[in-house]
Amino acid sequence: VPVSAARRLFELGGLQAQVAVAYLVYWLRSWFKDASQRELELAETHLRAAIDVFATMGYLRGAAMKVGQAIANLPDLLPTQVEETLERLHFEAPPMHFALLREQVRNELGQDPESVFASFETDALAAASLGQVHRATLASGEQVAVKIQYPGIARSIRADFRALSALLFPTRLTQVWESLKGQFEDIRAVLERETDYELEAETLTRGRALFREDDGIVVPNVFDAYSTRRVLTMEFVEGVHVQDFLKTDPPQEQRDQFGEKIYGSGARLHFAGRLLYADPHPGNYLFLPNGELGLIDFGCVRPYNDQEWECCRLLDPAVRGDRETRREVGRLMAAIDDPAHADPKHLDLLEAYSDWMWRPYNLEAPFDFGSETYLREGIDLMSKLIGGRYTQGRPMVVFTTRWFFGMVAMLHRLRARVDVGALYNQERVAAEWTTA
Amino acid sequence: VRVTEKTKAATRRRILKSARTLFSREGFERTTTRDVAKAAAIATGTLFNYFATKEAIALGLVADAIEAAHQEFESLHRDRGSLEEDLFGFIAAELRHLKSHRGYVQPVLEIALSPLALLEKTGESLRLSHIERVERMIAARVSEGACSFVALHLYWTLYTGVLAFWAADESPNQEDTLAVLDSSLKAFVSVLPTPLVARNTANVSGELP
Repeated sequence: VPVSAARRLFELGGLQAQVAVAYLVYWLRSWFKDASQRELELAETHLRAAIDVFATMGYLRGAAMKVGQAIANLPDLLPTQVEETLERLHFEAPPMHFALLREQVRNELGQDPESVFASFETDALAAASLGQVHRATLASGEQVAVKIQYPGIARSIRADFRALSALLFPTRLTQVWESLKGQFEDIRAVLERETDYELEAETLTRGRALFREDDGIVVPNVFDAYSTRRVLTMEFVEGVHVQDFLKTDPPQEQRDQFGEKIYGSGARLHFAGRLLYADPHPGNYLFLPNGELGLIDFGCVRPYNDQEWECCRLLDPAVRGDRETRREVGRLMAAIDDPAHADPKHLDLLEAYSDWMWRPYNLEAPFDFGSETYLREGIDLMSKLIGGRYTQGRPMVVFTTRWFFGMVAMLHRLRARVDVGALYNQERVAAEWTTA
Repeated sequence: VRVTEKTKAATRRRILKSARTLFSREGFERTTTRDVAKAAAIATGTLFNYFATKEAIALGLVADAIEAAHQEFESLHRDRGSLEEDLFGFIAAELRHLKSHRGYVQPVLEIALSPLALLEKTGESLRLSHIERVERMIAARVSEGACSFVALHLYWTLYTGVLAFWAADESPNQEDTLAVLDSSLKAFVSVLPTPLVARNTANVSGELP
C-alpha cells in the first residue's frame, strides 16, 4: 500500500521539519571529526563566526550550506528551538551489522558477500556517506573497497523533503517562498545524488580518465560487475588520511607537493573534465606512501551545467586580471547591475572579498596557505557578507566559494605552499581556453 | 477404504502445491477453496478434511516456508554475531523463504500470528517453533529462562509488526523492511537485562574507526 505524502507527514510530525537542519549538523560533525586537539582549540575562539560560515558557505557540501543560507536569509523563520535542535539532532545512517549488510549485498548482487567475494572483512573500514565501506578481495585477487548503502536511505531523504516542503506551507505567502523552495530542492538533489552509487561510478570513471600516471593522482578503478545503485566496488587505495599523514611530521617539501596535487587535481577535473569537485573534504583525500594523492570519493563530484560553465568563463579574467577587472567580475557574480545604486557597504565587502580570494593567484610564487591570518580574514569577510545578508548572487558563486573555502582549509591544514596561479594557468592552457 | 497417513500427507502436499500455483497465478483473493480442490483433483468436501478455510491453506504454505527457513538458518548459522545480529539473520532468512508467499502473509498474520491471534490455537505450533528458537538464542547468551514473558511479548509484537510492514512494503526488494527490522531489534535488545546487553553490544559492528 503506497503511503501518501500527507499521511506520512501526519505520522512523522514535527521531527521531520528539522531534518534538513539535522543534515547540516551531520556535515558539521563530519568536518570536525578528525580535527586535532590543537586545531579544535584554535577553532574555539572563532567557532561562533566559523559556524556561521560553515553553515552558509564554503566548508560544507551543497545541501548543508544551502540550509544554512536559507536560515540566514530568514531570521524570522528561525525559532530559538531550531538552535537547540542543532545541538540535539544529527543525521547519520546507522551502522550496519554483518547480518543486515549480508541481506543488502544479497539484494543488490544476488549472493552473500562471502560468495561474491573471495574474502570480505566483516568489520567496516570506514563510515561512508549514508553507508559504510568494507575491504574485500575479488576472485581475481584484486583488493577492493566496497561501499554499501544503508537500506531505504534514498527514499527516506525524498520523503523527508516532501514532508519538509509541506510543513513550510505557511511561508508560501511570503516573497521568499520561491527562493526557499529552490534552495531546499537543491539540497534534496545533492543528497539524492550522493545516494546514487551508479552515478558516482560513472563520475569516477570519467574522472579517472583525466589523469596520467606521471600526475601522481590515483582515482580508483570501478568494478562494474560488483556495483549497483547501492553497492560500489572500487580498487582499494592504500594510503592514510590527512591527520595521520601530519602525525608523521612530513617535511615542508612533501606538504607542498601534496598541496599542489590537491589543488591541481581540482583544476584538472575543472578544465579537462568540466567537473566540479564540490567538496574538498579531508576524508576524500588519501596520502600514499609513494607521494601520490588518492581521490576516493566522487559522490560530491558533478558536471557543470551550461549556465555554470558559462559562469566559470566569466570568472576567468579575474584570476589574471588587475584589481579593477576583479572588482567588475565580483559585481557581476553578485548580480549587481548598477553599482551607483548598490549599498556601498556591500560593494566594499565584495571588493575586500575579491582581493582576498584572488591574492594567492596573483603572487606569481607559491602562496603560504599555512598563514593563520589568511584563513581568518576569509572567515571574517564571509561572516560579514552573511551577517549583512549580502548573499544574493549567481548560483555559481555558491559553488566556487564552497570549493575555494574547502581548498583553503585543506591547504591550511597541510601548511602547504602552492603556486595556485601557475597551476590554474597550466590546466587552463592544456584545456585550450582562449581569452575572452 | 482406510486412508493411510502416507496418503494423507501426499494429499496435503498436493493441495498445498495446487494452492500455491493458483495463489500466485490468480491472486489469493480471487482463488476459492473450490478452485483449489479442483486443481488438486479432490472433492471440495475432502479438502475441508485437511483445511477448514482458504486462510488455513495459506497458513500451511507459510508454515512450510518458515520451517525450511529455520532449517537453513540452523545449518548455515555460524553463531558468532551479537544477539541482535543473530536475530536479524534468523528473521531475514524467514523473509527470504516467505518471499514467494508474500501475497497471503497478511491473512496468515490475522488468523495465526498477530497478538490478537494469540488467543487462538491456530498456528500455535508455528509460533512456538519461532519463539523457542528465539529463547534458545537468548538463553545461549545469558542463562536459562533469562527471557521474561514481558520481553517475549514485546519481541512477538515487534516481529509481527515487521511481518506486517514487509507484507505491504513497496520498496525495491522490500529493503525498507530491513531498516524497520534493524530498528525493531535494536529496540528489543535494549530492553533485555543489562548484562546481556553489555555482552552483546560490544560485538555489534557499530564502532567504526
